[in-house]
Amino acid sequence: MRNTFAIAWREVRTYFTSPLAYVVIGVFLLLSGYIFWASLVRFSELCLRFGSNPYFSSQLNVNDMVVRPLFGTMGIIFLLMIPVVTMRLLAEEKRSGTAELLFTCPVTSGQVVLGKYLGASFLLLAMLAVTLTYPSAIMNSGAAPDVKPTLVGYFGVLLMGLSFLSIGLLISATTDNQVIAAVGTFGALLMLWVINWMSESATVTLASLANTLSLGLWEKLGWGLGGPTLGELLSKVSIIEHFNDFRKGVLDTQHLVFYLSVIVTCLFVTQRILESRRWR
Amino acid sequence: MLDVTDITKVYGGRTVVDRVSFSVSKGEILGFLGPNGAGKTTTMRILTGYVPASAGIAKVAGFDVQEQPLEVKRRIGYLPEHPPLYRDMLVRPYLQFVASIRGVPRRQVASRVDKAIERCGLASVAGRLIGNLSKGFQQRVGLAQAILHEPDVLILDEPTVGLDPAQIREMRQLIKSFAGEHTVVLSTHILAEVTATCTRVLIINEGKIAAEDTLERLAARGERTRRLALRVARPGDGAEAALRTVPGVLRAQAEDGVPGGFLLEMQEGQDGSEAVASLCVSRGWGLVEMRPLTLSLEEIFIRIIRGEAA
Repeated sequence: MRNTFAIAWREVRTYFTSPLAYVVIGVFLLLSGYIFWASLVRFSELCLRFGSNPYFSSQLNVNDMVVRPLFGTMGIIFLLMIPVVTMRLLAEEKRSGTAELLFTCPVTSGQVVLGKYLGASFLLLAMLAVTLTYPSAIMNSGAAPDVKPTLVGYFGVLLMGLSFLSIGLLISATTDNQVIAAVGTFGALLMLWVINWMSESATVTLASLANTLSLGLWEKLGWGLGGPTLGELLSKVSIIEHFNDFRKGVLDTQHLVFYLSVIVTCLFVTQRILESRRWR
Repeated sequence: MLDVTDITKVYGGRTVVDRVSFSVSKGEILGFLGPNGAGKTTTMRILTGYVPASAGIAKVAGFDVQEQPLEVKRRIGYLPEHPPLYRDMLVRPYLQFVASIRGVPRRQVASRVDKAIERCGLASVAGRLIGNLSKGFQQRVGLAQAILHEPDVLILDEPTVGLDPAQIREMRQLIKSFAGEHTVVLSTHILAEVTATCTRVLIINEGKIAAEDTLERLAARGERTRRLALRVARPGDGAEAALRTVPGVLRAQAEDGVPGGFLLEMQEGQDGSEAVASLCVSRGWGLVEMRPLTLSLEEIFIRIIRGEAA
């Protein structure tokens, strides 16, 4: 445990002694702050125009119109920024030769992976913690958002960010080039983001796909051709699909399980990649 | 302290280290000498557990590198060829970080770091950014990193590469001061390095051990070949032929570029130098110089690498 924290703490130090952390956090705050402010302005203008109308005023909801767009924006910014945060984690160690230090110290590769991950998570937490000031700034105004849905939304953004980090860490372990790590991570995240776009039209069932691949053997074994479609599978894999409920303020364990399994799987595979050095 | 039996490393069909065996006892400084690409770095990486051996067993303090890597890693300090430094860290925090992942007890971290800084002469740069230090200081930070946890075995891969002569001297002094309490294995392709620091030398070439000996015995090999350098003031015609007739002289040849100089190869076990001297005197050549030639370590090294008998 001590090794893990030592590695995590070194990582945090590196982030905050270089301009990287400040640029990433600064840009993140600027963009998310602007979106928050813009939706707040629009919301107050709508309130002024339609507040007297009893039908419309029941539709005006701070959580829906201000807090939810904020989380959506954060997701998009993460998509662009997490690759920058994770690219150097393992790639740079390999490039600069410090990997030789880590792997000749009495440290397991699991501790290295976990330490790196915790270090990057700290940056993410710091970034999100500052944005808590946005909703709390309007807490005492007439447009106070509901606290619980807001916190659930934050929890969702955090989980999504953490799963992005684990994917980035995994890709950083496969290369010693930071640019490749960043581009690869961005591509992987964007792919997982848009993968459900064809879920409506991909109506072919998984069973019939397996049947085609096994040259009809599947059907002969009597395993049936019904069941879930490819589209349904794709929408389950989509990283944004699972985020939508959180954004609405709904806490559903299936989404929680999804994000946690992404994180655990990625960290496990990363550990195996590092370990593979020992038998290659 | 260190026991290596038949380690072999194959990289994509190419054998980089070929059945290398040796052992080092406590307090020794073993020099690993060989031309570039001989397999020194790979052997060291196997010892530290950074890369696994394809075959063979390496043991450090009785622990198998492959089976009990953590136990081994606790007992070794390692300075790779390129010092593993985080360029964007300050010297002291870097050493503190290394101390904690090397398993130095929390309470002792500060004192061990101070000690390493003092031993490696880093006090003046302890608060500076590693990336801004000169190559010599970076190398010393690398060494400080390796001795922090007071390891039983210290493995140094070309510790003096890229340093200026004064720094090389300091580094050698530093390494020598570790002998006794630590066992040191260092690699180099410079022979002078070995003569200056090591007690025993292992010459490795193309992945194989070409020779293993103490420095004294290696130097003694050079003395066994009996050669004489002769210089006379006024050599007459046919001096070469006359010298060849002296009993005990196998070969005689005029030395290029030295007027009146000859190189004689003498027969083993028969001292012909007296007969040579009296010949020179009786012919009135005017004997100026006569001295036995020994091979320098440099020549022995090159002969061993080429596979010739020294």
